[in-house]
Order: sequence, then C-alpha cells, then structure tokens
Amino acid sequence: MGLVRKQAPQQPEEVAPERPPAETLLRRLDDPDTDLRREAALGLEGIAEAVPALLARVHVEDDPRVLESILITLAAHDTDEVAGSLAVHLASDEAALRTAVAAALATMPRSVPDLLPALLAAPDHDVRVMTAMILADLPHPDAHVWLLRMVQDDPHPNVVTGAIDALLPSATADDIPLLEHAVQRFPDDPFLRFTVQAALPRLAGTA
Amino acid sequence: MTTATAGAGLSDADFTRFCEYFYKRTGIHFTPGKRYFVDKRIETCIRNSRYDNFAGWFAALRTSDRGEMAQDLINQLTVNETYFLREDYQFDAMLNTVLPSVIADRGGLQRMTGPVKILSLPCSTGEEPYSIALRLLEEWDLIDHVDVEIHGADIDSEVLAKASHASYGERSLHRVPKAWLAKYFVAVGAGRYQVEDGIRSAVTLHRVNICDTASMRAFRDYDVIFCRNVLIYFDELSSRRAAENLYGAMRPGGYLFLGHSESMSRISPIFTPTRLPEGLVYQRPTGGN
Amino acid sequence: MTSDTATGARVLVVDDAATVRLYHTTLLGGAGFAVNEAANGLEAVEAALGTDFDLFVVDVNMPKMNGYACVEALRSDTVGSDAPVVMISTEDRPGDADRAYQAGANLYLVKPVAGDRLVRVATMLTAGKDDVA
Repeated sequence: MGLVRKQAPQQPEEVAPERPPAETLLRRLDDPDTDLRREAALGLEGIAEAVPALLARVHVEDDPRVLESILITLAAHDTDEVAGSLAVHLASDEAALRTAVAAALATMPRSVPDLLPALLAAPDHDVRVMTAMILADLPHPDAHVWLLRMVQDDPHPNVVTGAIDALLPSATADDIPLLEHAVQRFPDDPFLRFTVQAALPRLAGTA
Repeated sequence: MTTATAGAGLSDADFTRFCEYFYKRTGIHFTPGKRYFVDKRIETCIRNSRYDNFAGWFAALRTSDRGEMAQDLINQLTVNETYFLREDYQFDAMLNTVLPSVIADRGGLQRMTGPVKILSLPCSTGEEPYSIALRLLEEWDLIDHVDVEIHGADIDSEVLAKASHASYGERSLHRVPKAWLAKYFVAVGAGRYQVEDGIRSAVTLHRVNICDTASMRAFRDYDVIFCRNVLIYFDELSSRRAAENLYGAMRPGGYLFLGHSESMSRISPIFTPTRLPEGLVYQRPTGGN
Repeated sequence: MTSDTATGARVLVVDDAATVRLYHTTLLGGAGFAVNEAANGLEAVEAALGTDFDLFVVDVNMPKMNGYACVEALRSDTVGSDAPVVMISTEDRPGDADRAYQAGANLYLVKPVAGDRLVRVATMLTAGKDDVA
C-alpha cells in the first residue's frame, strides 16, 4: 500500500503511439458503443481516405460527444470537400448540429472563403445568421470585409445585427457611417438601434 | 477621451478591445488598473513579431494562423512559474472530496481493484507530481490502505530530465514546510535539495504530446488529472483535441483540474462541470450520457 | 425601482453575442434585476453551479453548448435548477418552440424582443406567474 509505481524505468519513458489500422477505426465509426465511435473518429486524424465516411457519419450521428470528435478530425482537413459538405448542415433543424458545424467551419480559413458567396446569398436567413457566427471567429484577414458586406446589403435585420456583433471587435472609426446606415435601413428594430448607439463612442477612439 | 501611450500607442478604446479579445481567448480578465503592465507587455510582443504599431499587430494576431504570436502574448501576460504546492487549494480538493468520491465510485476500499491513478500533465520540472506525493503521504489518512500511482508527463525532454533528477532551489521550495523538507529531501549543496529516492522512484515520468491522440492512447483509466495552464496556449482545434485526449485518459467519473483562471467552457462540452467547496472541477461522465 | 417584484431578482443572460448580452443586461438591469452574463451554454452551467439564479434568459444558437442543451443541463442533476427559463432565438421555424419547451424552457420568444416586453415577461416569471405565454 502507499505510493507505488507501475514499472521501474530509471529515465522518463518515451510513450509509444498506438495506431489501430484505419479499416478497424472506419468499422468502429458505426459501432453501437459511443466511446468506440468517439475514439475511432479521433484516431482517423489526418487520414484523407476516411473523410467520406466521417462526412457520412455527420448525417446520422446523434451523440453530441461523438459529433464533436468527428468535427475535430474533419475540420483539420480544411478542404473544399469537407467545408462544402459541412455547410449543408447550417440549415439543419437540429440546433446541436448546426452550431457544432458552424464552430468547425470557423476553424477552416483555407476553404471557407470560397463558400462565402453562396452562404451570403442563401435564401434561408437562418443560414446567413450562422454565417455571421462563422465569420466572427474565422482567422482570415478578409473576414472583416465579408462582414461589412453583410451589414451593408443583407435584407434581414437579424442577419445584420449578427454581422454587427461579429464586426465590432475589429471595427474602427471608419465603419461608423456603415453602422449608422444600418440603423436607417431598419428603423423599427430596437435592438439594432441600441447596439449601434452603444458602440459609437468606443469606435471613435480606434485606429 | 483617448490617451495614447508612447510605445504601443494604445488608446483607451484599443485597450478595451484588446482586453475583450484576450478574455475571449483565454478567460483572463485585466482591469484598467493593469493598464501599464499590459501596455508594456504588448509593446514587447509587437516588437518580437516585427510590427511597428498596435493596429497592424492586433489585426495579424486575430486573423492569421501565426500561432507563435498568440503564444508569445500569453507568455508575456501570464505567470509561468512552477513551484511546490502551487495552487494548493486544488490539492485540498483532491484530498477532501475527490479521492473519497473516487474510492466510493470504485466500490469502496474493500472491493476496489487496482491502484488509484493520478496524472500531472504537463508536469514540467516535477514540482507538481512531487507535491501530490508529499500531500498524500503527509495528509491522506488512507494512504496506507490504498495503492496510488503518480505519473508526470510533458512534451519537453529537458524539463523531464530535471524532473527525474528532482533537485530544487529556494524558489521552488519556498512553500514546503521545514519538517517536510527534513523528512523527504536531501541537501545536495549550494542551497539545493533533492527529493529522496523513495518518492522519486514512485513517480513515473513520460514524454508525450497532449495533442497527439495516438500517443495519448497509452494513458488510460486515470482517476485524477491535473492539467493546469497549458490549454490556453493552444489554438481552437488543438485545445479541443487535447480535451478529447484527456477525456480518453480518464476513468468514467474521474476528475480533471485545470488552472485557476481556466475554464473548459471555452474549450469543449464533453466534460461535466462539478462545483466542490474548493472550486470547479470537471468529470468524465459515467454511463451513456 | 417601481417594480417591487423585479428588484433584486438574479438573472443570468446567456448569449454568445456581446451586443445581445449588453442589450438584455441594460434592459433588465435598468428594471432592477441583478444581472450576470454567460457567453455560451457551458459558461451558463458553470455560473449556475455557483449562484442560485431566479431567471435564465437563453439564446439558442451558441458555440460549445447550444441553448437547448444548456436548458437541459440546467434542469438535470448537474445543476438541478427549477428557475424559469426564457429562450430567445432568431429561429422562427415550426417546431422550435416545442423543442424549447421539451428541453424545459418556460417561454420561447423570437428576436428582436422589444425592451418593455422582455422586462414585463421577466417580472412576471420571477413573481411566480406562469401564464404569460
């Protein structure tokens, strides 16, 4: 009893990586055991051949933890194929799916820009609200420009307020006329008016 | 009103904006009272990354993939010291609440099989895993009735070599009671003390990258993990993967301690937060939820 | 304050949008509520583990933990709160409100919510009335 050690090496041990074969992990993506599915999805990191199976699993996976692990592995690919297939779920009726997918897309700065023209023109305004959420966190130098465009042109007030929220952390005094114009476009939206009025004094001092 | 400081040239509005960004990124909040400190450190970061003003540097920090800029910033604005018995209230929580709960979950003293497993990751130069050993030996009344394995792991082989040698100066030892120093350390000259062999050999050290799932698979069934002040350094995807790897290393019902300013709420939804009298900890849920 | 029912009741405003948090906090704070904020569902759960809130105002689309999952966690053994929950969303699809009530919300509103309406609803819910929907 007391403090014990597992083995007795004198020096720090180098941990040996365990990589089950990809075929085994692919099979486990459909296993009834959620822990096995979660670990399989994580273990398929960096394996391009696994992408279609992972994308297919996003459609049917109902365990939020497994979905989280699938999206971590998929987002790291940051390819057009992954981004395009994930973006379909922004229109999902399942809040857990559409918000998790938006968070994944926000970590894909290489492939998301090519999708933006389609997302900004999506007929469903809820998809455009989710797009503003993505742009809020996307580490890309043009994110600001895309958000300016949404604030200026989008016909739905909830999209505009979402874009303003995403824009403000990087907004400067130069953006004040655009914000004032947005208030004029939606004079009946009390939240939009409040938000812009609250933001103006702070923007005045930014470079 | 805006006031510009000499070097970084931060206006009040820029300072506020920066603090909001840093809070969102790390959970660390700076009050206006810290203005001088923050300005100075930002100045250093701007210089280190070869920008000549705040606006350019801040835009690059927010929008580029240059992880080293964020790492430098966090290094500048946080305290990276490690010393014995640091953030001791978490060891109190381990002794008072967590270990009794672990033993009960595992069927009680009579029925549990296998040792209680504790992991310190990253363990740096060893102060944390040895602190755990000292507190268990001195203050846990069940230590003679339960087997405990303590493991330390880090990505850096140089700090691991120091952890293995386990010799420390005044800076590391200032919180260790004199009586413990006499009992568990050996004076090795020049004001330095080495952890005695019994404890050194009871702590197993490993080299591992917390973000590497294949290597982390070797870590299983831990009852308690201390993972303090490292996840804040990672970008979004890396911190989420690290959280998954920690989850995989834990026994269902096991406990995870983060640093005192850290919160899993910025990183990953997979753990269940639990409030103990000593603060917040995270558990890997039991069963299929 | 004029509203004796509202004064001092503790509200947690849960929204990933800083602008929405500021709006709701200003409205409710101005009406005498003591308001705290959380930027996603997980932060809300952590806050609720430390404080007994009298009311939660929760967004739906949030990263890390969405509003429905947040309300379920607030109602589960993890937190065990039975305080009223108002969900406020940009979504106005059929079925959204049902989903909110299923999760344990008391009321589902669609953005934008006029200021006086939010204060009225919050006041009634914290006064123990449950027939405002």
